[in-house]
Amino acid sequence: MMKGLLGRAGRRYLRQHPWLLGLSVLGVALGVAVVVGIDLANGSARRAFERSAETVTGRATHQIIGATGRGLDEALYGRLRREWGVREAAPVVEGYVTGADGRPFQVLGVDPFAEAPFRPYVARGLDPGAFMARPGTVLMAASAAARRGLAPGDTFAVRAEGVRHTLTVAGLLTTDGAPDAEALSGLLVADVGTAQELLGRVGRLSRIDLRVPGGPAGEALLARLTAALPGGVTVARSATRTRTVAQMSRAFEVNLTALSLLALVVGMFLIYNTMTFSVVQRRPLIGRLRALGVTRREVFFMVLGEALLIGGAGTVVGGLLGLVLGNGLVHLVTRTINDLYYVVTVRQLVLTPVILLKGIGLGVGATVLAALAPAREATAAPAAAVLQRSQEESRMRRRAPALALTGLGLGALGAASLAWAGQGLVQSYLALFAVLMAFALLTPAAVVGMARGLTPVMGRAFGLPGRMAARGLTAALSRTGVAVAALMIALAATIGVGVMVDSFRQTVSVWLGYALQADVYVQPPSLVVRQGDAWLRPEVVRRLIQTPGVAAAYSVRRVTVAAPDGPAQLVAIDAGPRTAAAFRFKQGKPAAAWAAFDDGSTVLVSEPYAFRHHLDVGDTLRLQSDRGLRAFVVRGVYYDYASDQGVVLMSRATYERYYDDRERSGLALYAEPGVEVPVLVERLRARVAGLQSVFIRSNRALRDASLEVFDRTFTVTVVLRLLAVLVAFVGVMSALMALQLEQARTVAVLRANGMTPGQVGGLVTLQTGLMGLVAGVLSMPLGLALAFLLIHVINRRSFGWTMQMDLSPGVPAQALLLALVAALLAGLYPAWRMARAHPARALREP
Amino acid sequence: MRLRWIILTLLLLACLFAGAYRLSRPASPVPPPLTTAQALAGDTVGYARALVVRPFRFPEDHGPHPDFKTEWWYFTGNVETAEGRHFGYELTLFRIAVAPPGTGDGRASAWATRQVYMGHFALTDVEGRHFYPFERFSRGAVGLAGAQAAPFRVWLEDWTVAEAPGGLPALQLRAATDDVGIDLHLRPLKPVVLQGDRGLDRKGAGAGNASYYYSLTRLETHGTVRLGGEDHAVRGLSWMDREWSTSALDGNQVGWDWFALQLSDGRDLMFYRLRERSGRAAPFSHGVVVDPDGTTRPLGPEAVALTVGDHWQSPRGAARYPSRWRLRVPSEGLDLDLAPLLADQELPGVVRYWEGAVRVTGQAVDGYGYVEMTGYGDNPALPVPE
Repeated sequence: MMKGLLGRAGRRYLRQHPWLLGLSVLGVALGVAVVVGIDLANGSARRAFERSAETVTGRATHQIIGATGRGLDEALYGRLRREWGVREAAPVVEGYVTGADGRPFQVLGVDPFAEAPFRPYVARGLDPGAFMARPGTVLMAASAAARRGLAPGDTFAVRAEGVRHTLTVAGLLTTDGAPDAEALSGLLVADVGTAQELLGRVGRLSRIDLRVPGGPAGEALLARLTAALPGGVTVARSATRTRTVAQMSRAFEVNLTALSLLALVVGMFLIYNTMTFSVVQRRPLIGRLRALGVTRREVFFMVLGEALLIGGAGTVVGGLLGLVLGNGLVHLVTRTINDLYYVVTVRQLVLTPVILLKGIGLGVGATVLAALAPAREATAAPAAAVLQRSQEESRMRRRAPALALTGLGLGALGAASLAWAGQGLVQSYLALFAVLMAFALLTPAAVVGMARGLTPVMGRAFGLPGRMAARGLTAALSRTGVAVAALMIALAATIGVGVMVDSFRQTVSVWLGYALQADVYVQPPSLVVRQGDAWLRPEVVRRLIQTPGVAAAYSVRRVTVAAPDGPAQLVAIDAGPRTAAAFRFKQGKPAAAWAAFDDGSTVLVSEPYAFRHHLDVGDTLRLQSDRGLRAFVVRGVYYDYASDQGVVLMSRATYERYYDDRERSGLALYAEPGVEVPVLVERLRARVAGLQSVFIRSNRALRDASLEVFDRTFTVTVVLRLLAVLVAFVGVMSALMALQLEQARTVAVLRANGMTPGQVGGLVTLQTGLMGLVAGVLSMPLGLALAFLLIHVINRRSFGWTMQMDLSPGVPAQALLLALVAALLAGLYPAWRMARAHPARALREP
Repeated sequence: MRLRWIILTLLLLACLFAGAYRLSRPASPVPPPLTTAQALAGDTVGYARALVVRPFRFPEDHGPHPDFKTEWWYFTGNVETAEGRHFGYELTLFRIAVAPPGTGDGRASAWATRQVYMGHFALTDVEGRHFYPFERFSRGAVGLAGAQAAPFRVWLEDWTVAEAPGGLPALQLRAATDDVGIDLHLRPLKPVVLQGDRGLDRKGAGAGNASYYYSLTRLETHGTVRLGGEDHAVRGLSWMDREWSTSALDGNQVGWDWFALQLSDGRDLMFYRLRERSGRAAPFSHGVVVDPDGTTRPLGPEAVALTVGDHWQSPRGAARYPSRWRLRVPSEGLDLDLAPLLADQELPGVVRYWEGAVRVTGQAVDGYGYVEMTGYGDNPALPVPE
């Protein structure tokens, strides 16, 4: 009976304050939505990658790979079968082409007669005559064909590194035996020969898949192979290779997850606020219930139960919102992954039980956690006493210094752990969150201090309402403190991330300014903007170099090379007279390094590469070459922001000495004096029209394009920042609504004493404006601290980049404005309601 | 009361997410099936046909004839160890053109080809009562498989038929898998036998339903058979058939029974019977007798009387094969009983057929041979017509 009464009391309270309930649920929902959305986007991208990797790796246990991304000499495969008696081996030529709709297809070139042990789905449904003999024939998934309105025999156009090809659908891939129907839909299966021709890889294989049995037989086979394989050709585990690729984007994913948690943290403040308020409001009721014999335990669980209800509802709504959000975010996330790391197409969101459990755990868990303190607060009420709220508020004020001290302690702890945490990214984020919490704990004290300082100012400026507004902030500290803290954290995040992105962009812009020395740049289109082994067709190179108006041409070759600790991006350049100006050294002596550049053992490494591989000037690094494993001396570490994986730079001469590759990935052209660059660009384009559609861009255009990719990379970040602010906005609004309820009697008294509704509205607006101002001001130091941490700790530990912190006043000013606007907007409705409230009725109510 | 609410909320939560989870799973797909055997059969338009008698030239004609759809190098033999342990072997390399001549000419990739090679290797271990059949495929490109006349060599990865180190006419056969292998030296004891009309062997009434066909009916054989990690030195006799064609069987022919017998008096006998859908032998069934000196006498369909003594049901499918024969050739004074050395000598590859060593017993002569039976099972016929 007592339980029923308690439940009814709780429900009745919540029902009487639907907006309070609604805003709390919304707060949790938004927090959960952001976390689930990001998780979903990350998870789906990862899963899509894994699935497509599984689909093309099939049941291979090992792969024979070449020294570079150019792969292996195809003759090796025949020897493997004829001379070394390796039965379970399959040649693979893989790459990407772009369909007419701009979406990528993964091309898997296979020998159907070798496929059965690896990818049984390939050999089924095959007309070998069409497949092997006729050029340009491919198999595609039935679903993909249907989506494009294609049937067997139909043709369609694709581009491979800018070269146009017409392909014929030779057959449809059946999905049984394939690991994943969805992963199959982005796949074009072609014969090895067709794939070679399509991808411009005649004579080469991307890899040879193997199935090596476990145990001594397998080890003997591997040993035999290792001994027999030519220099630079190695055997690697398939799983390791896939994992290495997936690892590339890990730091990026961790950063996104951390940002998504920020929204949830802000949401937690909101819950805390709501629950505290509801407990404080019901102190008399709780006191009476306790007097009737309700135990502390029961009260405790009543409050927790309510929190659970809010958390549960918020999680449901948030989960569903998260699905919608994830749908939008996944495009942003995959776009960035495609720009920076590897090709992945997500056709479907993958909602795993783990994501769900995490969402539920965080939503419900955070709510309950946030409600623990208020629940304890409620049980602390002595059974007989009906405490005044004013006492609670004074207690809060008394406690503010203690909270502030705790905050300082936590902040110190965070800072210490940052200094101590070594390279760990997750620890860094934990420390960052500690600093955040520290500032939150400092907030009540700061609010009191600022309110005190502002009271006379406000009084002079706005008279009595001004003073009242300032004092009210302190008087209702239990709610204002939390609301201000929530807003402040959201704002600080905005400032921190904003300053970081601005600094980063500025740094990149400066770098592009000196790194791009030539007048015109030529690149083949590559699906992954900052990776990949795309190359210019020799005829294209020849024609471009010989174009009238070109004074000098320098080439660059980008290629992935195998190394003992995973693949590395190798860049080989012809050094021209202005090359040295394009590189700025972080370590090493430029003059000495450039002098030794062609000596055959010198390399330079970019800053992220040095960071990832713990390299200093004078160290050696080892790379697989076509002559076997070779050691190179690092003579310099230079600034480079093109790849967070880092690159190894060597001279073309050194490259040609160790690698049998004569291809070129790009050209840097200098115009003859007096030749207008735009004119030259047009002339160059005309020279290669119809051969390979390559990017021919002026210095300026390439710079703009690079910055565009940069901006695209940070779109997700901007979205997340806005979402955190949105949660904070809901928080401020909810706090103000609560205040309005609190102050109903006060306002009624004021109104009864002659205050007009307009003046009441003004008072509320002043109060909210003040909250916004306080939050805005407090968010500055925290925001800058966050920016500092993001730039000098998180970024360094994620990517190893040095950035100049760029403090334009724009970002903090924006944040302050945002704070004021958010607070004022959030105060509009409460102000309107308070002004409209009927004083007599408010006075009558207890 | 409150607890109920909480449980209800959590349940609702679970249901919602479970629903969303299920919806996000991929739907199950529908596959259209097509077998390799079907695909290999293909069309015959555009290929060369066996229409007229042509001169045979060696070693050129040992090499491939890529404009014809199918071609094979066919070796069977019966060999024994010094202790009398008997083995039968088959090593056949098939060349199958999967697209007509001219298809894909001028392509840049060395992998582009219209030639596929199929290899069948089987060992009959009579003492161990075990039959070891193997099948392989590879394309006739990038050194994986191929055939050439000079120096003569046909290979499918590491299964090879090539001229022996001393040169033609002696041959070396090598084929091995993990635990079964042969390495045999073959030397012809008789000249080449041109089958049918000077090597043009008609199989059906339709123009071009014929093959070019020659045989080496008796090859002295010695070498090793490897079984279970043990090498056995063996000696015996082998038989080689060489045939290329584009289309041979008429529409109403379902399969054939083929006999290649090596008799103790030095005579060799080849005979095949084409079976029509009705069950009767087609009029194109015929054969040849080769004397010890190489003299040949053709055998018309009426010259041979064949009766089936027993049947064997394949455990792998619906096929039910004859398993014992009485073969009478009155003109040659032969009345032979043919008994399989092992009942199960069925090759269970993409094309299912029975090809096995048989013991030949007669009144005055005996010997060994090989029998091939196609078109009895779920695969109506070899995709490669004979």
